[in-house]
This record gives sequence, structure tokens and C-alpha cells, in this order.
Amino acid sequence: MSSRELLALLVVAAPALAAAATVVAPRRAVHLVATVGAIASAVAAAVLSAVALSSPGSPLVGRWVVVDAAAGLLVAVIGVVGLTAVLVSPAYLAASPHGLVRAERRPRTFYGLVFGFWAILTAIPLAGNLGGAWLLVEATTAASALLVGFGGKPRALEAAWKYLILTSLGLGVALLGIVVLAAGSSHGGLDALSWRALEHVRAGHALVAYLLLLAGLASKVGWAPVHNWLPDAHSEAPAPVSALLSAALLPAVLLVAWRSSQALTPVIGASAAQSVLVGFGLLSLAVAVPFLWQAMPWKRLLAYSSLEHMGVIALGIGFGTPLALAGVAVHIVGHALAKALGFYAATPLLGHEPRAAGHAVRGIGRTQGPLASVLGVSLGALAGLPPSPLFASEVLIVAGGFAAGRPWTAATAAALLALGFLGLAHALLETIAGKAHARDRAAPGLRGVVLLTGVAVPCLLGLTVAALWLPGSAIARALVQGIR
Amino acid sequence: MSGALIWLLVALGLGVVIVRRRSLAVGFVTVQALVLAVSAADDTAAAAAVLAVRAVALGTLLLLVVSRTREPRPVRAGIAPIARAGLAVGFALALTWLIPAIGLESRNAERGVLALIAFGVTAAATRRATLFQVLGIVLCENGLALAALQLPGGSSTVIELGVAFDLTLVALVAVVFHERIFAEFGAGDTAALRSLRE
Repeated sequence: MSSRELLALLVVAAPALAAAATVVAPRRAVHLVATVGAIASAVAAAVLSAVALSSPGSPLVGRWVVVDAAAGLLVAVIGVVGLTAVLVSPAYLAASPHGLVRAERRPRTFYGLVFGFWAILTAIPLAGNLGGAWLLVEATTAASALLVGFGGKPRALEAAWKYLILTSLGLGVALLGIVVLAAGSSHGGLDALSWRALEHVRAGHALVAYLLLLAGLASKVGWAPVHNWLPDAHSEAPAPVSALLSAALLPAVLLVAWRSSQALTPVIGASAAQSVLVGFGLLSLAVAVPFLWQAMPWKRLLAYSSLEHMGVIALGIGFGTPLALAGVAVHIVGHALAKALGFYAATPLLGHEPRAAGHAVRGIGRTQGPLASVLGVSLGALAGLPPSPLFASEVLIVAGGFAAGRPWTAATAAALLALGFLGLAHALLETIAGKAHARDRAAPGLRGVVLLTGVAVPCLLGLTVAALWLPGSAIARALVQGIR
Repeated sequence: MSGALIWLLVALGLGVVIVRRRSLAVGFVTVQALVLAVSAADDTAAAAAVLAVRAVALGTLLLLVVSRTREPRPVRAGIAPIARAGLAVGFALALTWLIPAIGLESRNAERGVLALIAFGVTAAATRRATLFQVLGIVLCENGLALAALQLPGGSSTVIELGVAFDLTLVALVAVVFHERIFAEFGAGDTAALRSLRE
């Protein structure tokens, strides 16, 4: 086993061990054990990410494990979101004392599930073959459905049920695609599904399989038109879980679609492989934009913004040029930071203004300045307000579309992005400076979220600067090359 | 696998779409998985063992849930059985027409796989009872297990084991939610859940 394979194993094992440790830890020490476990897991992820991104031109592509630039990027994102989700969890657990499990077992069960989910999530970008990746994606469903319904309220149960059934059926369709690939492969058994073996699948099988695979994965990524579970699950899940779902799970599953597209391109052709992704991207943008213009509860607004951003990433992957893929890399990281921050702010927001659970929130700046600044940073970044890195990444992706010879698609995407920006900018103004009634409730966990914002702002600005350098870098070349 | 066995699997699948009683439908998907296990025994003992264990474990779990959450009367499906059957068969025919040959050992097996997936999706989409929606997923997975067994080069035992494990895990989580929904609403009825959003 090579050092990078060992490191990959460690990165997955760390949160898995943390899950076990939180389950057996004494009750008083659960939060401490979780914090230590999260820091250790994030450090392991950071090391692997540094290794992968420092030598992007020489990826490790094994039978079971892949360590390349895309995996490094995703593992870093999952590590950061996992760590911050655990850090803000005590505030959520204190603010919501009731739920699916008995009060005395709540923190232990919650952390156990979060770390279990984190471990599986981390393994997805590192999976060395499509079959393994599918198994991991399916395994996230069980852990994350329990987390979505963790609040135990009827609406949370409904959201979790919908998520469980729709994504399981979708993944069944994806598995049919995998079976078709295996049937058309010249290899047998597990080797038929290794990323590099997919280019040897018979052409007649490959296109059908690719369509089934992407249609199935779309239900898990939350691409339109199979996104119905997404707004409900994101808005009903505990805030730290919503962050993990939106900022980590969706892009991790999207990477499986990306790898499949790259692996099958030699057989089905670049045009077919990319057109499917561009189609999902444009449709998701078109479906999301009208919702971004509506006044809706904070977490639901963020959920529809996830639909928009997953559409943007699909477009970037579909365009496939170095410019667009550099934009995709920046977009994945920037979206994760801004979206996680937005969801973390939901706990203090709901404490300060309980009506925000079911209604659009207004004028927070008039009653709770620090909270308004967190909401403003998150929503401003997600809207693509300069100097947000998402502005830079969207410019790169649209420019990449023109470079790819798809001017009409790129122009349509630019128009939809502009409309989405206007919708979110309006929501930003209303949330911060709209009319407000008197509020005197405390905002639980606000200090921690403000601190995280203090760390996130320089990271977001740094990412904007990195967006200028990334298109010509070895990382962008490695993303274009993939694992071929 | 003989054509007769494949059509037996399809008939059992259609039964899940039609029948009213949950226990009967659980019996159908369990028998399906056991038939698959027996037919796999000739080629790969490991795959047969995985399927048999999964069939017994899921069957036991689901029957236990049925007995723990007795409904005063079966949850109405909203669509009559004959209409459900028509929808399921129509969907299966459409899939068979739309999807070209997928390379399994026989065309009958391919039709059987697509029919089981169509029936599973139809069951999940048209049945209001939570347990029937879970059975829809199990039905799809049985169809995919049939496909894996009919692959010309054989399938990977590791993947089959993983799929069986994942399916059991998803079913376990679904059971947790089913019991909670039953406790909350007095019935495992997704219409009650949908009404929360209206």
C-alpha cells in the first residue's frame, strides 16, 4: 500500500473512529470528544488535500482508491464543512432539545450520525471505481435521512421520508446504468467498473448507461427536474446537517457524475457527454431562478440557491474547458463556505426570530447587527456580489462556455445568473434592512457563527484572488485531464 | 435462469403493485429474492448466500414492522388496483421500448429487469402506504439483482454484498421513519405527510 493510499484510508478512518468515540464517550465528554474528533478528521483531510493539490499532474489511480486534484478539492471542502458543522452543533443541540431520539441520547446519536455521514462523504471522492462510488453514495442516504428527520417534527419526518424514497429510487436507476456498463465491458467483476476501464465499454451500451447513470445521480445531486426532495430536506434538517447536505454531499455526488462523464467521453464522445450535463445545468438554473425571486423562509431560500449553484457547477463541467473547470473548482469551494455559513446562521436566527422558520425574514440589521452581518456575508457571496468568489467563478464558467463554442448556452446561463443575482440581492436587502417589528429574543450560538464569519471572509476574498490565477495552473490542467 | 422463473419474478412484482395487504406484498418480494438466490446458487455460491440472507433479513424485518404497526384498515392507494396494474404494465412496456438491448444473457432477462424496475417505481409512486413505498424500492433492487446475475461476465461479489448491505440499511432507516410516522399520524399514510405542505 502506497503512502497516499494509507493517507486516504486515514482520512476516511478518522471521522469513522470519531463516530465510534462519540457513541461510547461519557455523556459529559461527548461535545469535547466530538470537537477533538472533528479537528483530527479535518487535519487529516487537509494533509491529503495538500498532497493531492501539490502534485496535480501525477494522480494516484488505483483499483479501490483515487487521489487526484478533484478528490483533493472535495476532501478539503468536506473536511472544512465537517469541522465547522461539529463546532456549531452544541448550539443547535441546546436550542432544539426534542427530536427523533430520547433527550439523554441526543448528542451522542447526533454526533455519531454526523461523523458516520462525514466518513462516507469523504470516501466518495476517493473511490477508485464507479461501483464503489455508487455504494458510498447510497450509504449516505441512510445516515443523512436519519439526520434530516432528527428534529422529529412532522414536517421533518415528511422531508426525510421524501428524501429517502426519491433518492433511493433515483440511485436504483443509476445502478441500472452501472449494470448496463458492466454488461458492455470487456472486463469482468469489479475491474469492469474501475474508472479507467469504462473507456473500453462497448459504444452501444455506453450512451444508454451514461443517461441512466446521470438521471439517477441527478436525483441525489438535486438537479432539476428531480430536485423535489431538496428544498424540504434542506429546510427541515438541523442547521449543521443542512450545511453538510448542501455544501458537501451535493458536490461529492456531482463529482461521481463528473468522473463518469470524463471516463465515458472516449466512447460516447465529448459532445454527448457534455450536453447532458449542460442540459441539467441550464434546467436547474431555469427552475431555481423564479424561486429566488420569492419571499421565503431563510433555509428554504438557501435550498433553492443550492439548486441554482449545482446547476452552475453542472454547466461548468459540461463546458469542460480549463476556464470553466477552474471556475468549477472556485465555485465548489466558495459555495461551500458561503452556504455553510448561511445554514449555521439559521440557529441564532431562529432563536432571535422564531417566525423565520416559516416566513421570509426581514430587517434583521435593525434588531441584531452581528447576525445581520453574517446573513449578509453569506447571501451576498451566494448571490455573486463582487468581490464574492462566486462572481469570479461564474464569470469563468460563462467565459468557459464561450471558449467551448457554446455561445448561446453561455449567454442564456449569463442571463439566468443575472436574474438569480437580482432575486438574491432583493432578498439580501429585505433580510438586512427591510421593515422589522420589535424583537428582543437572544440569538443562541451567535458568537461562534460570528467568529466563523471572521475566518470565512478572508478565505472568500483569498478565493477570489485565487480565481485569477487558477485557469492557467497545473490544477486546472489536471481537472481537464481527469483520471484518464 | 429459465424464462419461466423470470416471468414468475415479474408476476410476483406485479402482485406487489396490486395487492392490498402489506404482509402479502412483503411475502412476494421475499419469495422473489429467494428465487433469485436459488437460481444464483448454480453459478456463484457467494452471491446466492448474500441474496438469501438479505431476503430473510428484510422479510423478517418488514413482517415484524407490519405486526407492530397494525392499521385499523388498509391505507387506500388512491388509484384502483386495476389502474395501478395498467400503469405498471404500460410503464414496463415503455421502458422495454425505450431502452435498447443492455447486454444481459437473454432478452427475456432484460425484459424482466425493466419490468421489475417499472413495477417498483409504480408501487412507490402510486401507493400511499409508507411500507408499500419501501417495497417499491426493494422491488427495484430485486430487478437489479436479476440483472447482476444475468451479466455475461458475472458480477462482482463485493458490489453485490455492498448493494445488499445498503438496501438493508435504507430499509432499516425507512422502518424507523415508518414507525415514527405511524406513532405521529396513527397510520403509515404518506397522504397525511403531504397534507403538512398544503
